[in-house]
Amino acid sequence: MRGVFLICKKEFLEFSKDKRTVFFTFFLPVLLYPMVFLLIAGLGQRDEAQRLGRPSRVSIVDPARVLAPGMRREPDTFQVVELAPGTARQALKERQVDLHVEVEPGAARKIEQQRPYLISVLVDDTEPSSELALGRFREAVRKLDEIQVQRRLAALHAEPELTEPSWTVTENVATAGLEAGKAVGSFLPYLLMLMMFQGAMQHGIYVTAGEKERGTLQTLLATRLPRNRIIWGKLIYIFVMGLVAALLNLASMGLSMAVVLGRAASQRTGAPAGASLDLSAMTSPGVLLLCFLLLVPLGLFFSSFILFMGVRARNTSEAGASLMPGMILIILLGAFSLAPGLERMPFLPYVPILNVSLAIRNLFGQRGDVVEYLVALVMTTGMSALMTWASARLLDRESALFRQG
Amino acid sequence: MIRLSGVHKTFQVKDRKTRAWRRIEAVKDLSFGVEAGEIYGLLGPNGAGKSTTLRMIAGLMQPDLGRIEICGVGTQEQPERSRAMVGYLSTDLGVYTRFTPRELLRLFGEFQGVDARVAERRGMGLLERLQMKDFADIRMEGFSSGQKQKVSIARALLHDPRVVIFDEPTTGLDVLTAKTVLDLLRILKAEGRAVIVSTHVMPMVEDVCDRVGIIFDGVLHGDAPPSDMLARWRVHSLEEVFFRLAADAQEAG
Repeated sequence: MRGVFLICKKEFLEFSKDKRTVFFTFFLPVLLYPMVFLLIAGLGQRDEAQRLGRPSRVSIVDPARVLAPGMRREPDTFQVVELAPGTARQALKERQVDLHVEVEPGAARKIEQQRPYLISVLVDDTEPSSELALGRFREAVRKLDEIQVQRRLAALHAEPELTEPSWTVTENVATAGLEAGKAVGSFLPYLLMLMMFQGAMQHGIYVTAGEKERGTLQTLLATRLPRNRIIWGKLIYIFVMGLVAALLNLASMGLSMAVVLGRAASQRTGAPAGASLDLSAMTSPGVLLLCFLLLVPLGLFFSSFILFMGVRARNTSEAGASLMPGMILIILLGAFSLAPGLERMPFLPYVPILNVSLAIRNLFGQRGDVVEYLVALVMTTGMSALMTWASARLLDRESALFRQG
Repeated sequence: MIRLSGVHKTFQVKDRKTRAWRRIEAVKDLSFGVEAGEIYGLLGPNGAGKSTTLRMIAGLMQPDLGRIEICGVGTQEQPERSRAMVGYLSTDLGVYTRFTPRELLRLFGEFQGVDARVAERRGMGLLERLQMKDFADIRMEGFSSGQKQKVSIARALLHDPRVVIFDEPTTGLDVLTAKTVLDLLRILKAEGRAVIVSTHVMPMVEDVCDRVGIIFDGVLHGDAPPSDMLARWRVHSLEEVFFRLAADAQEAG
């Protein structure tokens, strides 16, 4: 074990000597996510405040004068804009108006006859201000309709409840924690896998193909250290770097998101900021521990894969290129694991990597299955052991150093 | 101390033009020995099989046929034990440039099973001998190739190896530094170590080597003291022997 420790120590020492890499690995994620999230949230909030603070610009064609007078009476909500006939679509595209409304000419007569009349609306779904205008318009029409209905009921001497034959009361059995847990559990495995692989990759390449390129691997292999100890030392280093990078990135991202969401929620509800930071409502220490236990063999598998490809490659660029398919595979599997209804596919617990994703998702969704969990754990551990063994075998062959062809 | 008997090594290389794999015999039936307190010079042109031979002795490669022993220990049977007795300096300088020489030597001392304090003391002694003590605590990123070479030599000798293998130790060095390395080789010899040096520099071989072996196309041509070699070929310098062998090889080829 001493050899493993010595190699590991050498790798960490070498890493610590490069202040720039240390900064980019450990400190940048911690600083970057809060900065980016707060900036985006700040810009979003400012934009939303601006939109809410000004009236929606609406052009209206209403010859029967059914809606237009009411809208003009609410200058804080609507600013009625006059447009030349046939220019509404262009005006919407050019953002001169947020909404265009056309009320059918016979609307007033139809109201008198107690028949529905037609309102045509042009809206641009890609523009938040247009969506806001539509919401405001619908609310205005709903209020107007409500007045009409009340008038009609009064004319019939009917009770106001006539139009409400039933009341539905719903109760959400899912706690806020479960809802948040399911939401987090759906994308957390994807982020974890991606960040762990990406975090381990650059360090893995540096200590394998990089050593080969710099000519230092020869000097290392010429020492009395057994090859399997060298492999284990490097494996532990790559694994720790990947895990730390993933956890740091996630922690920083999670905290930044929580702060931003908490701030947004407090602005809407008036609750104190930080109300949505309650991690304990979302999950338990047991779930976090089980997740971590799954991450260890997965991280080891990724690290041993990176190690294998790094040892096999002749130089760093070849190592990078040969690891890219692995990265793409993880992105694809991760994206697939985000799909809803995956848990109903019976073969998924036996698909490597994906089963870890599924197990973490189920743990957060409070639907953890012992058998599924154990299958994922044992399978990933086995795969990582196999890959480590293959790496040690590869390093023992001289082709690892002096590849021909 | 070092014994090679009937060593054979082939490589499979891919011809990029024909896309076919070819077998190249890098070393053919190589047999020689180096005793304690002896410097053996291995000469030959580029691609003759010198580095392959040295790598096999250092345990970085295994022979396809034949046997290599370091102090009676087979490199194939007990690779770690045999590597522990060898100090190997490759043509690639192979220094970790993020470290200072002191840090590098301390680490490699530990890799070779030498106590950290002993490794540091020994390493500093070697650096002093190689006129590098003033640079012991400076990161090697900005070092010249000569400075890196000196640190590599110190690294190779740190664990007090009984066998020393230097692959082209004076390549890229200035005259003064090359002389320091040659002086060090004489000291290693005086200390009773078996030393193998590969080089292109003929005067150096005549100057320091007790015996020389000339490799051409993986075959060892002659294995004798430099003076015997000159007498046998009736020439005045090893360079002339070298040219004759090259001409013979071309004719045969």
